[in-house]
Amino acid sequence: MDKRLGVYICSGCSIGESVDVAKLEKIAGSEYKAPVCRTHPFLCGEEGLALLREDLQQGTVNAVVVAACSPRVKTAEFRFDPKFDTQMVLDRVNLREQVAWCHKPNDEDTQMLAEDSLRMGIVRAQKMEPLETVPGEISRALLVVGGGVTGLSAALEAANTGFDVVLVEKQAQLGGFAAAMKKDIPRGAPYTQARMDGVSERIQAVTSHPRIKVHCSTKIVKTDGQPGMFDVTLQNGSDPFVHRVGAIVMATGWKPYDATKLTALGYGLPDVITNLEFEEMAAAGPIIRPSTGQPVESVLFVQCAGSRDSEPGHLPYCSSTCCMNTLKQTEYIREQNSNAQVFVIYKDIVTPGQYEKYYQKVQEQPLNFFMKGNVTSVGKGDNDRVVVNVDNNLLGSPMRIPVDLVVLATGMVPNSADGLAIRTLHDAGLKVLRNESDEQRQAAEKVVEQYKHHEGTEILNLTYRQGPDLPVLRDGFSDSNFICFPYETLRTGIYAAGAVRAPMDSALAEEDACGAVMKAIQSIELATRGQAVHPRAGDLSFPSFFLQRCTSCKRCTEECPFGSIDEDAKGTPQFNQYRCRRCGICMGACPERIISFKNYSVDMIAGMLKAIEVPDETEDKPRIVIFACENDAYPAIDMAGMRHANYDASVRIIPLRCLGSMNIVWIADALSRGIDGVMLMGCKFGEDYQCHFLRGSELADRRLVNVKDTLNRLQLEGDRIQLVQLAIDECARLPQVIDDFVGKLRQLGPNPYKGF
Amino acid sequence: MASTLLVQPDTKFIRDVMQSGGGDLKKCYQCATCTSVCELSTESRPFPRKQMVEAQWGLKQPLMADPAVWLCHNCGDCTAKCPRDARPGQVMGAIRGEVIKQYAFPRFMGTLVSSPGALPLLLALPVVILLAIAVWPVHAGPLPGWEFAFMFPQARLETLFFTVGTLVGFAFAVGAVRFLWALRASGADGPILPALAPVLTEIATHRKFSKCTIDKNRYPGHLLVFSGFVGLGVVGTVIGIGTMLGVMHTPLPTFSPFKVFANACALLAFVGAMLLIASRIKNREARTASTYFDWFFLLVLANAVITGILSEALRLAQNQAWMYPVYFVHLTMILALFLYAPYSKFAHLVYRTVALAATWEGRKPLIATQDSGSKETLADDRS
Repeated sequence: MDKRLGVYICSGCSIGESVDVAKLEKIAGSEYKAPVCRTHPFLCGEEGLALLREDLQQGTVNAVVVAACSPRVKTAEFRFDPKFDTQMVLDRVNLREQVAWCHKPNDEDTQMLAEDSLRMGIVRAQKMEPLETVPGEISRALLVVGGGVTGLSAALEAANTGFDVVLVEKQAQLGGFAAAMKKDIPRGAPYTQARMDGVSERIQAVTSHPRIKVHCSTKIVKTDGQPGMFDVTLQNGSDPFVHRVGAIVMATGWKPYDATKLTALGYGLPDVITNLEFEEMAAAGPIIRPSTGQPVESVLFVQCAGSRDSEPGHLPYCSSTCCMNTLKQTEYIREQNSNAQVFVIYKDIVTPGQYEKYYQKVQEQPLNFFMKGNVTSVGKGDNDRVVVNVDNNLLGSPMRIPVDLVVLATGMVPNSADGLAIRTLHDAGLKVLRNESDEQRQAAEKVVEQYKHHEGTEILNLTYRQGPDLPVLRDGFSDSNFICFPYETLRTGIYAAGAVRAPMDSALAEEDACGAVMKAIQSIELATRGQAVHPRAGDLSFPSFFLQRCTSCKRCTEECPFGSIDEDAKGTPQFNQYRCRRCGICMGACPERIISFKNYSVDMIAGMLKAIEVPDETEDKPRIVIFACENDAYPAIDMAGMRHANYDASVRIIPLRCLGSMNIVWIADALSRGIDGVMLMGCKFGEDYQCHFLRGSELADRRLVNVKDTLNRLQLEGDRIQLVQLAIDECARLPQVIDDFVGKLRQLGPNPYKGF
Repeated sequence: MASTLLVQPDTKFIRDVMQSGGGDLKKCYQCATCTSVCELSTESRPFPRKQMVEAQWGLKQPLMADPAVWLCHNCGDCTAKCPRDARPGQVMGAIRGEVIKQYAFPRFMGTLVSSPGALPLLLALPVVILLAIAVWPVHAGPLPGWEFAFMFPQARLETLFFTVGTLVGFAFAVGAVRFLWALRASGADGPILPALAPVLTEIATHRKFSKCTIDKNRYPGHLLVFSGFVGLGVVGTVIGIGTMLGVMHTPLPTFSPFKVFANACALLAFVGAMLLIASRIKNREARTASTYFDWFFLLVLANAVITGILSEALRLAQNQAWMYPVYFVHLTMILALFLYAPYSKFAHLVYRTVALAATWEGRKPLIATQDSGSKETLADDRS
């Protein structure tokens, strides 16, 4: 595109009082030959904007640089008629929060900072190309995997919003575990009545809804494609058939914890059963002792059976529903026999919020006995009863409680498939087959051994290079809780909901289904416009690959957090646009630098670096480049400016979409130009990660290790490069961080490559 | 106690406790707020949380032998702070009632005295005895004015009261000994006799009562009733012995030192009783939780004091029409008070004293909460 540069400088908000705007105008005109350069004291007002609109209308400019406030604000004001969208580019230079508001006014260093910022902005505008919507055939149907409470709710929500739904259930009937319950826990005021289930109504609504197609006894053979155009192959006995859908909601629910691991709690004895077995017995008829068939006179519930401890094979987490279900089950017993003695031994009673009212109600029964304690053994006692030993209890002495029946309240295990583990298993399996060196094959065999329990566990069967299913989080629950973005997953267009995402009861599961369906619909709508989903919602750009120079190193394929890139037999990357979140981590990974966006490329940033004026070493004016990620670091810098915090004016801030998109060549470029130090400022990574693209800052950190080695070989100090993890709420720390870095660089001395 | 406890809940016990003031027992969820706020609870004998749990679980035997049940002075601080409105103070009171019933000798008296339906019978007994005495002809010479001795000769009254005293003393002894055995079996083995002196001092000064914060009237109320009553008891016994030996002759002159002392005590007891009654009515918690068992004792005692004062006033006024009936009622009340003492709430005077004495060794004064070196340790420190 033939660029006609238009530079608009606002002197309002004390920018004009801080820097010499006239000098900036001169730079635009003389250094960059901008045909149009205007200054206005209130650019975002009607008069100021009219100037811009006029120039655009006349066609005098098509590469607009607005040098004013932060690009994070006034976005509505600086948006122009959509008819210009494909014909213009817009760049914002931050002269307010990052220049005028945080540095000394009318100072030489502040002026130099403003001038460099303008230069970088102009270069960026020159290297940007307008974006266009790429049309695509986007399906407006949803696939819901799982026909339990969550899946049924999701299907109904989506269908009632006007989307077609394909509901797949592997069992022969719908309803999941909710349908197997005798009653459901209380869900509405006054929270004291167990209620008949609500699943049958839901099943009825789903099966009779014109927009919902139900397939029971059906499995997913494979899922090809990408969001907006998933081709799902299903099979239920006869020939497989394909459905095209736009998004997937995974609601495969849970399965009960394997109680055969609880022999220490007596499981295996006829009169020791799990909470699910108890529920099924109660739903089918009277509650009896399995060994004699007689109705029970006394029952003991062991809460947290096999849960909330660090024993191997046990669940370390609380399944959140067992306490409420136990309370409900005590009422079944009470209905049958008002003189029955019911004991509940717990670690804690988990009845959050209004559920506490149910606990209060059940407690009031004179013959219900609650106590915190630790069940040490369950065994046969006198008169054929079951004896439970409890120690570490509130009475201070060990107790022996003889009862007719013991119920172990066991937890939930998600019906998930660990996509990344399955993929690791397959890759290792291939390695073993391919007869590589002995050493490699043995290492691969070890990996196969370690992961082999994942064999055959696929659910979605995605034909994604990175794995056939969603990754799982801690404890095997399907990933669906991206930092800051609930329900967002690492696989665009696929959303997990219900007990497969986290242990929950049916009330919460219905809400969860709503959330996931909302996200699914959102992703379809955005795909229809060619736009990205969270965190860069609305972004029209996407990476293009200059494959002629690709060396098939596969770094982009591996490092993409979202599995957007598949590979062909030769290892050449195959990019799937609708999976992409436009973070640019692939761009940062590529050693050949063949990946670029229309408005974000290696060349662009390199150009910005070149635009910085670097004074030579006699002037004692160090120059530091800060690559700040747009998610946490850049806003934190803005906030420091909003609080008028002062920091060293030697810094030149270059925003990046994600630290993971940082290409190492920029560091080389910066240092070879004489820049004294480079700081990478981004979101935290690690256990408590904040990185909005999962591992961008972590990747940058890892790449830096190699850079430091190179630097040492060039006789440059590795300390000139620093990665700082800064959370968005840490703006108070910022001035100190910057000033410390500048101080350290002053100690190291100027970059010896200055002036080369 | 590290030996294993076999759990077989006594469901009748649970229902009994719930019906005698501990109706909210099951609401407790063992948060221990009650034990934390209790000013009388110590580290080695914390209460009332453990007692709440034991009562909820129908563990009657440990509760019958638990001295902590009697360390409680029923002040109600715990009830005021309980987040669940489980009213632990009332539950403790109910448990004490059950202990009194448990050790009552003879057994049926314990049940009788706590049953509202038996009230007519309980009052009828002293009435019948007194009527018999009143109706039995008196061979006495002419009297200088209207005196009670006209209807109730001193000698007969003294015989009656000393007989009653002996019976009651015996019943108390049996109950106290049973209680003590149970205490010993549960590990409270402080020697009783050496502990009596400090215990009685503590009781006399009402030091524990002053610790309770919620109901400020209990300290002065109980102190006054207690000291008034003890005073009257002492002076009554002295005069009784004096008249039996023939050294004294009732009615004593109004300004004799004994009479003045006795009247002062009566006044103290009156004021104290009124304070306690008023407080029980005014305090919503206490009012709604007060049971027949509570009111029986308090009202009999209050009536005894009131009718006693009235009797004296009427005698001094020489009001023949009213002095005898009122005195009759007074004697009925006194007789009821003592006859039923081992079976009513009055019994606390023996049980509490025994419990305090049995746990004296190792119990440090209230201020120090670091209870190191105490003999009784619990299996774990979660009580």
